[in-house]
Amino acid sequence: MKHIFAIGVGGTGAKCIEAVTHLHACGLFADESGNLARLGIFLVEPDQQSALLNRAQTAVGRYVAMRRLIGTGSDDFARGELRDYGQWSPLSSASGAMSLDQVFPKAVLRTQSAGLADLFDCLFPPDEQSADLEVGFRGRPPIGSAVMSRVSLEKEAQVGRWQQMLNDIQTAAGSGEPPVIHLFGSVFGGTGASGVPSLGQLLKNWLKRQGLNSVQVQASLMLPYFDFDGMGDQDTGVHAESRNFQLNTDAALQYLRTSGKACFDRVYLIGSDIKARYGFSIGGVSQSNAAHLVELLGALALRHPGSVSTGYAHVLSRADAQTICWEDIPDNEIVGAGLARGARFAVAWRNNFSREIGDAQKVSMPTFLSGAPWARRFFSTRSKNSTGTNSRGARPPIRDKEGLSIQNAIDQYCDTLLQWLNQISSNLGGSNFHQELFTPSLLTFSGYYINSLNRVVQGKARPNRSDSADTVERIKVRMDCLSSNAISHRGMAGLADCLWKLVL
Amino acid sequence: MKTTQWFLLLACVALGVVWIFIAQNWIFLNLFAGLLVGPGLGMDLNNYLQTGSSPAFTVLWAGCISALLIWIGITWTATPRSSSQTRLMQPMWWVATIVLCVFGWLCQGWFTVFTWKLRGLSPVDGSGINYYPVPPVGWLLLAGFVLLDVMILFWLPTLLASPRNYRLVVPGAVTLLGGR
Repeated sequence: MKHIFAIGVGGTGAKCIEAVTHLHACGLFADESGNLARLGIFLVEPDQQSALLNRAQTAVGRYVAMRRLIGTGSDDFARGELRDYGQWSPLSSASGAMSLDQVFPKAVLRTQSAGLADLFDCLFPPDEQSADLEVGFRGRPPIGSAVMSRVSLEKEAQVGRWQQMLNDIQTAAGSGEPPVIHLFGSVFGGTGASGVPSLGQLLKNWLKRQGLNSVQVQASLMLPYFDFDGMGDQDTGVHAESRNFQLNTDAALQYLRTSGKACFDRVYLIGSDIKARYGFSIGGVSQSNAAHLVELLGALALRHPGSVSTGYAHVLSRADAQTICWEDIPDNEIVGAGLARGARFAVAWRNNFSREIGDAQKVSMPTFLSGAPWARRFFSTRSKNSTGTNSRGARPPIRDKEGLSIQNAIDQYCDTLLQWLNQISSNLGGSNFHQELFTPSLLTFSGYYINSLNRVVQGKARPNRSDSADTVERIKVRMDCLSSNAISHRGMAGLADCLWKLVL
Repeated sequence: MKTTQWFLLLACVALGVVWIFIAQNWIFLNLFAGLLVGPGLGMDLNNYLQTGSSPAFTVLWAGCISALLIWIGITWTATPRSSSQTRLMQPMWWVATIVLCVFGWLCQGWFTVFTWKLRGLSPVDGSGINYYPVPPVGWLLLAGFVLLDVMILFWLPTLLASPRNYRLVVPGAVTLLGGR
């Protein structure tokens, strides 16, 4: 089984982790035999209040919760194993320090080494020294690099957040296919630009010391793909400025060219000439940048087989300047099918099947069944469980509490997935630039039943079916007509699993 | 619709034809003759069945077949979004059934009484009355057979052959077919 350890560094890294989570949920990380990979997620972010961190944690948390509740109740739906290793701040090893002059105590520096203190003053102006780092490294890679240089992976491996993940990396390295460690972050921001190369190097050195030379360390590095609407003023203090993005990128790429191989075995560089516009923020809860297609493309680097890769740096481009379509997506046949299945499932479940289950709570089961013959394949027609010698045969009542918990968990995850799909297909920046992947207006929780699925996915990933045949109603009919052997699981999880199989 | 449902639909229609045009008349002649012809009324039951009862049941049969085709047509082409939308056909089914029953009773009334009165003719020679003198028990019997015919000609085929998500909408379908 393939093991992937995905580490998101900074806000952009967290957004990439969200993309990784959804791709994993769509079953897009599998080995050559088709077995789904075991994915580990770790977030590195000094800004504990970051809305982007919160989004990633929400996506991961909801998927994990859904999967836990489903358990062994499905064959295909939500089968990708995901381990959440949590979130870590580089400042956590700095004993409560929240500014650079606390991380490197100036008073102590002055006493112990005046020259070093002078160098510190030379490298970092007073406003950078005193900037509150609670909201991140403020778009200043030098600040992040200085903080990251204090991190000791050896120490973290013994106690703290890194311990479990590093232990699992060691275990995975000893069993079959060597694991992959993949970092995500931007090269133009603060935390990512400083954290990704620093952590890459720390990990490479740690792996070398542990004798785990087969473990690959790679990274998806985001080049500039957005601009800020507005900017800070004198009262904002140190903050990220979009005019510095290109400069930061240039510096980062130069570093990669000279010292990149000490940090990563290969890198994937992706940005966009069509810049999305985000509201200005120094960080915290206000930094709620919408998901972007570039993050999806960066996450897809996990599918690139390192065994056949001969180059060090990999880039992507698109065929048409004003359009992006499925043909521009790597492995578009498989990726398109996976994302199409996920999108159609989320729309069909959230805007039809889940509503049906809700309506079923208000009427008697025979009344509900009279309009929903498909339901009897998964739920008991009586108030108690129907007969069955094992979980595969027994059908629970539609009001079963455990089933309703599963429904709720699937609802919550689908909301997250729909929001992400909606944003990556509508957050495009330029007014003349358009995408032919999804229809954003359909990727939302609507206030009414949705029946037609034919416009959810666009382009070549759209199923080859007539409009009248591409409906949720037809799926229900197919469910009703399935043989007993074709339905492996009953109850709410079985219903979701069956829908997952039939929706494409 | 599934293949078995097509087969069941055709079987129901065939059953209906046999019932209306052969079996029912045999039952009236051999089992309920005494109820349909009162003593001393001089009514020829065969004549009544040919010119009174059978035409009425034939028209009822045509009405039930038409209603069945309309039901199949509506449920075949509809695309309900939800189970509650599907269930909206249930009251429509009841309306159709009630209309058919009333229609059947009216047909009996027409061919037994009204058509003779309107034409000013007497179905029973020498009786001097311009309608078939069916006794009250006979009327009850005919009314009951109208209900039975609607069940056989409309309820049964809609129960067995309603397509897709409508297949359990017909009353009794959940109890009889819901476990299948």
